[in-house]
Parts: sequence; structure tokens; C-alpha cells
Amino acid sequence: MAEVFTENAGDLAARPIIEFRGVCKTYPSGTHALEDINIRIGSGEFVFVVGSSGAGKSTFMKLIMREEKANTGLITVNGFNLSKMRRSQVPMLRRTMGIVFQDFRLIPNMNVFENVAFAMHVIGADRRTIRREVSNALSKVGLGNKARSMPAELSGGEQQRVGLARALVNKPDLIIADEPTGNVDPNMSYDIVSLLTEINKRGTTILMVTHDHNLVRDFHHRVIMLDSGRIVADNAGGEF
Amino acid sequence: MKLRSVRYLTAEGVKNTWVNRLMSLASIGVLVACMVIIGLALLISANVNKAIGRLEQQNVIMAYMKDYNWALYGEKEESTPEEVQTSSQSTSSETTESEPAEQEKPDQNGIKPSDYVIHNEEEGKALCDQIAKLDNVQSVEYISSEAGLESVKVSMLEGQESYFTFLNEEYGNPMSAAAKVTMKDMALFSQTVKAIEGLDGIDVIQSQSDLADKITAIKRGIGVAGFWIIAILMVISLVIVSNTIRVTMYNRKLEISIMKAVGATDWFVRVPFIVEGMMIGLLSALIAEGLLYFCYRVATETIISTLGTSDIVHYRDMALQLLLIFIGIGIFAGVIGSFIMIRKYLRREGSEFTAI
Repeated sequence: MAEVFTENAGDLAARPIIEFRGVCKTYPSGTHALEDINIRIGSGEFVFVVGSSGAGKSTFMKLIMREEKANTGLITVNGFNLSKMRRSQVPMLRRTMGIVFQDFRLIPNMNVFENVAFAMHVIGADRRTIRREVSNALSKVGLGNKARSMPAELSGGEQQRVGLARALVNKPDLIIADEPTGNVDPNMSYDIVSLLTEINKRGTTILMVTHDHNLVRDFHHRVIMLDSGRIVADNAGGEF
Repeated sequence: MKLRSVRYLTAEGVKNTWVNRLMSLASIGVLVACMVIIGLALLISANVNKAIGRLEQQNVIMAYMKDYNWALYGEKEESTPEEVQTSSQSTSSETTESEPAEQEKPDQNGIKPSDYVIHNEEEGKALCDQIAKLDNVQSVEYISSEAGLESVKVSMLEGQESYFTFLNEEYGNPMSAAAKVTMKDMALFSQTVKAIEGLDGIDVIQSQSDLADKITAIKRGIGVAGFWIIAILMVISLVIVSNTIRVTMYNRKLEISIMKAVGATDWFVRVPFIVEGMMIGLLSALIAEGLLYFCYRVATETIISTLGTSDIVHYRDMALQLLLIFIGIGIFAGVIGSFIMIRKYLRREGSEFTAI
């Protein structure tokens, strides 16, 4: 069940949407992926997570999405205590977040509308709501006129925007974007991050993993830098 | 789960069967083969049982009674001197006290009424009623000594028949009255025979215990063979459906990963696969029913025309039963096969969605 958070001090938003306290993660193979992670991400923040390969970014994201479980420490996301969460509760946690994948993850035999609607069918939305919300989400990402197109007919940037629309359609509090610009050209990367920034301005918390230093420099958001499973920098304003 | 979700997932399952039609077809082919073999086993078993039923009807026993003819011709045990004395004493006392003296007088053949148990047809029929009350007795028919003699004569060769005619004319009917008994279950043959033998008034039982044993053995053999055929084919059906669903699942890894990412419950992921398994099972059942009907019709027509027998089980008598069995097998294999597979998948790969 939801845990009540204490008020956060400093420049963080009043209610932390993600909190890690003394989190360690070691895989059964013996790999120490994360060590003693302590972090608070407030509601409405835009955070870049950066770091080289093997730094622990993926594990960090997997712990937030409860794809992996921490060995020690406390993780709370969107009011859910992930350390005590049962397997059956995981879908409820995931319904409070939207996930954007690097490889878009669009179903090739479904058109744009159906791909976005798919996320709403999962939560049992009715047809009328699905029609309305999918149209809204597609308009937000600038693809209102491509609803009947098949994924193969779209550019990489457009496909990623469909993925973004799918993440947005259930109106989540938090969007987790795992290298969303990894498979698109630099111009399109800017468009996507601009779009995410706009979504963030409307109050949605954005957590974005990226390797693209230019994007981090150009969009002045908080940056968490991981190295060898530890947080080595946590700067507001895109400095690292 | 909401009703509209169930509707959506059912439609998805039906759609998936079509999308994966090649794999579905392969599974349907194997399932149909299994069902047809199961159906054939059941039809053969029904036909053998029918034939055995006829044999069972024929396998009646004759329980001969201790009547006048038995006293006249039967091989009775020799009485001990004491028994003879007691018997003569009691006879003399009965004669003096209550019974008329004429009743105990031996007739021209030297037979007294106390020498036998069944004195007339009424007593014979009463004994038949006693037999009918025993467990495992299906029917009892009273056969008078005259009817018995006629039936024996019919089954005799010419020379034997004339001997019986001569015997009858010279000394009287040599046949005792009998009870013609049909049993319900041949497996309980010997117990039933013993029970009949224990009744007062029964002399000897004529039976074909060998046939009863053989019938019981054949029935048991058919039962065991049928059970194993069905069990093995059920396992094969399960494995086939499971494998199809596994392939479908790996083909749909992408969709499953998205489902998990957007918060689908395990049931939401499972239902389309279970529906797909059910569809495969149901289609297989319908095809198997049609195919079996065609094969059985051809086979029976051939048997009737070559062997000239028409005493076989008609397909229409078993059509509904077979269809229900096929649907049962199909749905069981479909639901359980897909359930096992998807459960296994969700516990391993399916819980991860960032790396597929």
C-alpha cells in the first residue's frame, strides 16, 4: 500500500516520486550492479540518468520498474514500497508510469492507433475513452494525422513518438524513458527531448537514461551520473 | 477482470489462432489424429462389448432341481444305515401321526415323496423365485422336465434323439425340471453358481465356466488397453498444444513485454493463449468427429458387405458421446497445455520486459 512521505527539503519538489535509501543490488552471478544508492526525485522533475556502459543505469531503471528487486535498502515509487511489494501488485505500480523504450517496441501488425490503444485495453478502458484518449495522446506528440499508418511506414523519430504517445495515454505520473533517442538521428533526438520537456512542464515527472551528452548539456535538467554502481554526481542544471 | 477485457482478450485469442494459422494447423492435425485414434478405440471397444454382450446372453446356466425324475434317475448319495433307520423311524412316526399312510407308499418305481424336494411346478417356480432374489442374477426361467426333454432332443443328433425318445417311452422323462439363469456380471460367475448350489432343491448346475472366464478376461483386457490408449494420447495432445502455445508465446514476446510494461496482470497475458488453446482443441474435436464418422461409415459398409453381418454399433448411437469426449479432450488439452506453458514463461522470461 502507499506509504506516506515526509516533506522534502531543499530545491526538490515537495513530494518525492522516487526514493532510494541505501539500495544495493547484486545479481546471482555475483555482479555488484548498484551499491548504497540514496536518491530522491521529486514530483514534476525532469532527470537525466547518465553513465558509461555497466555503470548501473539499467539496473537502476529496472529497480524503479520493479523488474528487479533490491537486495538491501528501501525503494519507494509513486507511493508504492517496492521492497515489500508482492508480485501481484507489480501491475498496479506499472500503471502509474509510462515506459518509453529505445527500440520503440511497436507491434508491427497494428497501426499507430491500435498500438497506443493497446496500453488502454490492458487497463480495461472502454472503447469511447480509448478513442478519445488515444486521439489526444497522438495529437500531443504531433501524430494526429498518422493514426491509421503502420509502424513500418513511419520514420524512427515518428515511431518513437508513437511509443511516447503509448506511454502518455494512461496519464501516468512518471515517464521512464530508456535511451529514447538511441535509435533516432540528432535532429529527431532534440524533438523528442523537447516533447518530453513539454510533457514535464504539464506536471509529469520524467526520468530519462541517455548517452547523448549534447542533449544533457542543451536541456538544463537535473543529471544523475552513475559509475561502477554508485552515484558519482547529482547536479541540477545539466552540469556533469 | 472486467467483462470488456474478457471480450477483448477472447477476440484476441481467436485472432491469434488465425494469425498463427500454420502452427495452429499443425497442432490441429496432430490433435485430430489423436482424437480419431481415441474414437476408434472407443468404437472398437463398443463393438467388442456388444459381441461379448451377445455371448453373455447365451452363457446361461441350467440349475437342475431335485424332482421326481431326479429321484428316479439321479445319482443320489448312498444313505448310511443310521440315516436309513432315522428316516424309517421318522417316516413311520409321521405316518402314524399326521400324514396319510398312502402318501409315503412307494409308487410303482419305488419312489416316495420324501425322496425328492420339488414335488410339482409350483414348488419349482418358487425355487426359481428364490434364485431370482440372489445378487447378480439377471433373469430366471422355469423349464419343466417336458420342455427340457424337447430342448435336449432338438440339440441331439438323430441316433441320440431316438435314444431319448425310447427312454421316455419306456421309463418316463429322464430330464429334471430346471431353472435357466442369466447373470448380470460374468466376473461374479463362480460366486453366483455357489449361491445357487446352496439352495435347497438344487441338484446340479450345468454351466460353461470357461466361457465366462474368457469373457471376463477379454472385457478386462479391452478396458485396460482402452485406458492406456486414451491416457497416452491425452498426454500427446497436451504436449502438442503446449508446444504450439510455446511457439506462439515466443512469437509474441514483443506484445507480452509491452503488456507487462503497461501494467497487464498475469491473467491478462494468459487469457488470449488459453482461448487460442481452446480454439485449437475445439476445432480439432469438430474435425475429428467428421473424419471419424466418414472412416467408420466406410469401414462398417465394407464389413457388412464382406462378412454379411449387420450387428455392429451404429455411429449415430455414439456420435454425441464421441463429440463430447473430443470436445472434452480438446478443451482440456488446450486449456491445461497453454496454462502450463504461459505460467512457466511468465515466471521466467515473461517477468522481464526491458530486454527481450
